[in-house]
Amino acid sequence: MKNARRLFFRIGAVLVLVAVAACMMVIGRGHTVYIDNKTLEYEGETYKAYYRAVVYVDGKKVSTLAARERGMATNIGQSFTMTVGIVEEKGRDEVPHEITIKLPYNMDGVIINIPGYMAGLPQEAWMTEFVSAPSEAEMQEEAPTEEEDILAGAEF
Amino acid sequence: MKKENKVLGFLRDNTVPIMFIVICAVCIPISGFSASYLMNEIVTRMGRNIFLILALLIPIMSGMGLNFGMTLGAMAGEIALIFVSDWQIWGIPGVVLAMILSIPISIVLGAFCGKILNMAKGREMITSYIISFFMNGIYQLIVLYMMGSIIPIRHFSVKLPRGYGIRNTVSLLNMRQCLDNLLAVRVAGVKIPVLTFLIIALLCLFIVWFRRTKLGQDMRAVGQDMNVARDAGINVERTRIISIVMSTVLAGFGMVIYLQNMGNIATYSSHSQIGMFCIAALLVGGASVDRASIGNVFLGVVLFHTMFIVAPKAGAQITGDSMIGEYFRVFVSYAVITLALVMYETKKRKHKSLMAQQLQQEQKEASAS
Repeated sequence: MKNARRLFFRIGAVLVLVAVAACMMVIGRGHTVYIDNKTLEYEGETYKAYYRAVVYVDGKKVSTLAARERGMATNIGQSFTMTVGIVEEKGRDEVPHEITIKLPYNMDGVIINIPGYMAGLPQEAWMTEFVSAPSEAEMQEEAPTEEEDILAGAEF
Repeated sequence: MKKENKVLGFLRDNTVPIMFIVICAVCIPISGFSASYLMNEIVTRMGRNIFLILALLIPIMSGMGLNFGMTLGAMAGEIALIFVSDWQIWGIPGVVLAMILSIPISIVLGAFCGKILNMAKGREMITSYIISFFMNGIYQLIVLYMMGSIIPIRHFSVKLPRGYGIRNTVSLLNMRQCLDNLLAVRVAGVKIPVLTFLIIALLCLFIVWFRRTKLGQDMRAVGQDMNVARDAGINVERTRIISIVMSTVLAGFGMVIYLQNMGNIATYSSHSQIGMFCIAALLVGGASVDRASIGNVFLGVVLFHTMFIVAPKAGAQITGDSMIGEYFRVFVSYAVITLALVMYETKKRKHKSLMAQQLQQEQKEASAS
């Protein structure tokens, strides 16, 4: 009886830990979101870039994008909310739009095209995956040698 | 006369902390660091290291001495962080996930270490030291050759360009100081990482509570005398294994806290000297091979790290070469461990000879009567 109870608690503890870990994997998934203010061609139609787009995330200004420019923000979780202040043409007032986007779990970097999104196009038109190319130094990194790295002491 | 003996006894029992207080008192003014800079550095290092050092207390309680095998827990924490980094889990969830992932690895490594230490009773410290070297080889094999080829690793920032193996440095920029910055407050220009200190306080409370539990009492009994404990019905081997497993799991958590503060993993060297420095810090706080308290941990971290911070600058001021200070602090780390071990052995031998003398006296008296 005592053993069964102990086993029950052990299995319970393991299940709780697995559940917390699964939860952390979902809520902690990080994404880098690239915000494009670029002209988009989709099914023969052209969606022109805005004169200026100001991007705010969590109330903080992330970037001011002129036409053909790209901004960047980081986000933890699958839901990304930003406010984009759009100036359609020179001399016009900035009109804020709140945008909430579900980010795909499998994408590390996500590119969002603002003119495409604002035009109400389907997701595949305005959302693409950003695949970053490793830098020259990163490409040349080699496995550590014993003297240099493996046996070296670390900072404490 | 009695008072003189008391003072001498106090000095003898606290040789190492007193020595360090003197070193710090001499080096601080020479280094020329401002009080706020020093305080900031010490508080940061307290948050970074105390959890790791607290992991050493449980094996001392069960008489297994200073657990050099805590390196195994550090390796478990690093492996967990490599996975979390590859899966791109950021911030506090990343830290929590890394801690959870490190648990099974730490348990397996701790149980393995505990089993071997049970075969080497009385020589636990040197055995655990050698186990950590042996395990380092296995760690290198896994991280350098199996990750990316057998164990799936996909992120280019983690994997070496050759297609397998982990880079020399893995960035933890997306979780850097996330624990320390959450709930942090500034007092007189000194940043206090409240959440990290709360976690440390929880561990301290756990240790105080654990000492009073049945298992905690068993560990203390085993630590005092294994034969008596066995006669009292305690499963000595199992108790010792549990104490090492607990220490390894806590070391794994401590390593995650340590590395989130640093903001990157030196994949092949982060764990290599962690055991040595943690043990040195604990000994500096006045602990010995068979006796250590939470107070020793805090005092040790403050004194050891003050020396760590001021020694290079003081060395540069005195000799014009900062490397002297660097060598000095490494030399002191090893020296303090040697000194503590020599003092422990001397004390043990003295106690043994005293007991033998007493027994001889009793036998003489018995034969005379």
